[in-house]
Amino acid sequence: MAGAVMGKETKDLHQHAGLSADGSQFLTFRLGEELYGVDILRVQEIKGYTAVTKIPNTPPHIKGVLNLRGTIVPVVELRTKFGMPTIDYTAFTVIIVVVVQDKVMGLVVDAVSDVLDIKMKDIQPAPDFGDKVDVTFLNGIGKSGNKLVSLLDIDRLLLDPDSKDSPVADAA
Amino acid sequence: MRMDNEDFSQFQDAFFEEAAEHLAVVEEGLLELERHPEDRDLLNKIFRSAHSIKGASGMFGFNAVAQFTHKMETLLDSLRNGQKAVSPSVADLLLRSTDCVKTLIQSAKTRAAVDEETVQRLTAELAAANASDSQPSAVSTNDTAVQPVSAGNCSGDRVYAITWTPPEWLFLRGLDPLQTFKELRSLGDLTGVTMDTSRLPDLADLDPEKCYLSWTMQLTTGKDLKAIESVFEFVREDSKLSIALVTSKGESEHAQKRAAATSTAAFDTETIKPLGQILVEDGLVSPADLDRALAQQKRVGQILVEQKAVTSQQVEEALQKQRQQEAVPLSKKTDTASIRVDTAKIDKLINLVGELVITQSMLSDLGSRFEMRQLPVLLERMVELERNTREIQERVMSIRMVPIGTAFARFPRLVRDLSAKVGKKIQLVLSGEETELDKTVIESIGDPLTHLVRNSADHGIEPPEERLDNNKPEVGTIRLNAFHEGGNICITVEDDGRGLNRDRILAKAVKHGVIGENDKLTDDQIWSLIFKPGFSTAEKVTDVSGRGVGMDVVKRNIENLRGTVSIKTVTGRGTTFTLKLPLTLAIIDGMTVRVGKETYIVPLLSILESIQPKAELVKTVVGKGELINVRGTYIPVVRLYEVFASEPEYTDPKEAILLVLETEEEHVAVMVDEILGQQQVVIKSMEQNFRKVEGVAGATILGDGTVGFILDVRGLIEIARHGNPVAA
Amino acid sequence: MSKTVLIVDDSPTMRQIVAFTLTNAGFTVIEAEHGKDAVSKIAKGPKMDIVVTDLNMPEMDGITLIKELRRLSAFKFTPILMLTTESAVEKKQAGKEAGATGWIVKPFNPEVLLKTIAKVLPM
Repeated sequence: MAGAVMGKETKDLHQHAGLSADGSQFLTFRLGEELYGVDILRVQEIKGYTAVTKIPNTPPHIKGVLNLRGTIVPVVELRTKFGMPTIDYTAFTVIIVVVVQDKVMGLVVDAVSDVLDIKMKDIQPAPDFGDKVDVTFLNGIGKSGNKLVSLLDIDRLLLDPDSKDSPVADAA
Repeated sequence: MRMDNEDFSQFQDAFFEEAAEHLAVVEEGLLELERHPEDRDLLNKIFRSAHSIKGASGMFGFNAVAQFTHKMETLLDSLRNGQKAVSPSVADLLLRSTDCVKTLIQSAKTRAAVDEETVQRLTAELAAANASDSQPSAVSTNDTAVQPVSAGNCSGDRVYAITWTPPEWLFLRGLDPLQTFKELRSLGDLTGVTMDTSRLPDLADLDPEKCYLSWTMQLTTGKDLKAIESVFEFVREDSKLSIALVTSKGESEHAQKRAAATSTAAFDTETIKPLGQILVEDGLVSPADLDRALAQQKRVGQILVEQKAVTSQQVEEALQKQRQQEAVPLSKKTDTASIRVDTAKIDKLINLVGELVITQSMLSDLGSRFEMRQLPVLLERMVELERNTREIQERVMSIRMVPIGTAFARFPRLVRDLSAKVGKKIQLVLSGEETELDKTVIESIGDPLTHLVRNSADHGIEPPEERLDNNKPEVGTIRLNAFHEGGNICITVEDDGRGLNRDRILAKAVKHGVIGENDKLTDDQIWSLIFKPGFSTAEKVTDVSGRGVGMDVVKRNIENLRGTVSIKTVTGRGTTFTLKLPLTLAIIDGMTVRVGKETYIVPLLSILESIQPKAELVKTVVGKGELINVRGTYIPVVRLYEVFASEPEYTDPKEAILLVLETEEEHVAVMVDEILGQQQVVIKSMEQNFRKVEGVAGATILGDGTVGFILDVRGLIEIARHGNPVAA
Repeated sequence: MSKTVLIVDDSPTMRQIVAFTLTNAGFTVIEAEHGKDAVSKIAKGPKMDIVVTDLNMPEMDGITLIKELRRLSAFKFTPILMLTTESAVEKKQAGKEAGATGWIVKPFNPEVLLKTIAKVLPM
């Protein structure tokens, strides 16, 4: 019933920094064949890909900055960040604008997939692949139907000061 | 009613701002009081401010602040009643207590821990001062006692009176007043809803699909005005809507009663239906009738024009007036910082916008029936429009401008404490406090200024004996002055102390290897040595001006504000530091340049000249470092595409353009492909969502909507050096 | 009974996001690619409780669609939300004059969509 819309206490949901007991809603997107998810409450908006201005002397995954209604917003290309091969942008390429702490950033992804409800019981910790794959910026792996969704910890992904190529950590 | 945390913090911000102002009044007043202990007006002023802090902090549940301020207030009250005399020790106690209130407020703001011991010691001292000397019979506890402050009393619920006259065609856009009332109810208690049916025509004239009704109601809510306005988002532009803050909660019942008494037809909001729907349901009209009536409906302006009651121009003007009224700024707080603006500034701005609207309507009128012979009128109007726009721009910028007095306010206290600490007699003279500059600049110059003042007190002013020996007045003077000069603000920190010691600075510079023993330096070059990192001439490290790590930081801070520091000094007579700062940080004049496909902005102030070099003028040193001969002086060349690792159009200096740029210490020639033009650009922060980028001072939005970077000349040189040390 | 939403947008991604958000919130969603498609879906489809339409679309644009819908007695009082961009002030005005109930500024997040629908749709 649509009444659920009004009864939903979005404010309360905001207060959960991580995952709430009964799970969360995730905006899922594709990188190649892989499916990733970000907490929908962290998503400010989704916009089509527009040209960005390259920032001098920054790591390759920092695609550049764009003008989002007068604010300068850095854009991270997730494929490069994850060490995946780059592809030509298509009509489906979008920038997911997310809020990490008080910063607004854009993520370039192949395509937005959908919005999924994933229950806590359907989320398992990210497996340890050893040094082969860095899984520190995953909150876990979610299951929805027969799909597997890698749930991103965008705070860690974009802000972790230990990571030398984090966009906001000082490079020097 | 639950208090929304976000909104609550907005009120709190206002409280903190106000408390800071009151604290400044108390502090200034107490300092003044030391000189004029008999000044009753002054005491009253101090008392009122302390009282305001107490009251407001109690309201917000900051009990520690309220209780402590209450103790202060009690003492102040007995001072102003003459029950106690203002002694230096009392004044000192009050000053220390003021500091304590500051700390307590700070801790209320940041939830940082306070030094409980100090609070308790001062509380005890205040209690002791309150108890001592006073004639018990004269102390009236009733006068000074406060109502106990209840922590729960932080409900920020307010009552708003809302009057809403929706547009007649409300229903035809699928809008339903019931939805509006529902949404208002979700914000708080909606009461006293009354319907005004006075505009309802006779049944025969009634258009069943029009909305003739108006409503008045009261909303008790913790939400702010913006939240209420957003309920009306889709109809606001077309409605007559007033939302007025009536009272705080305590008086709301009264307000409701008043409203109820004037109500004409109170009704339950749950039962409202669109008028058309009611009429159809009652069988008065058929749905087909409704459709027909609807097809005939016109907007009121159109009907009036057709009846020749008004001209279309008059309607347009009225609409503009309506829009203008809507444009009156509503209190809108950002979560970062607020700014207090003199009402006079806003009034002037509103007048200017009014003029703009008039000019605009005259222009559109002219445009609607333009003939060639009216060209002079058109040109005249265009000039007016330009003047208007420029004036509005200036006025809007001036809103960010605040008097520098707020930054000066901390110094009387500082100098008082310093002179006691270093055993010198120092008087502080302030002037030019009314000089206005950008709020951001004011917030950033406090620390550098403090450092300079400390430095003057510590190193500049001599001890009293030494001054007397040199036939100088025993009391030294530090002057702080602010004034406009050209497009800049100058702030001077001047002392009549011993002046900088040329030989000592030179000796130290040689010792540190900053200069060679035989280097010939001009006086100015010598004075600027004290801004070198780690350079301090003080013989003893004091806890007043620290370890001499400060002057380079001062210089860095001022340069970050795009300003400069200069020194004038006469041995035995004193030293003057002059800070020169831009009026605003928001806009700069820039030169747009191109390198390959990228566009950059170079601050115009740093550009000395641009040259297209002949091949023989560019020389290479040690195979790599490039220099260009500009009228006999060799200047290092920085290829912008190299430091920014981008793709240029030209790699040969002969084809490119060299911009000779100036920084404090040196000149540098920056190589670009092309100069595109000159324009004012609005500076946008890179740090807000990203971080500092070396060689980039900020970003801006270019004409095509993309982002361009503003170059940081000093940063460019740094990058060039790291990559190529030979060039240094 | 579940409320029915007609979403009209030529961008499949946009429709997809809106559809998923609304389906999750318990709505029945009917998608149309453009104004003409919407009109044909209305002709054979069930009653719509609310229409959410983009403005720039091939075949029939959003403004025309809103005008067409308001001419039908079944849609006379139906809430119609238009998807606009922030800069398009004239578009918003034109949409209002055509009879749009309200607007959602693109790009938006799902929460705003749900809130705005709750604002205009009686439940």
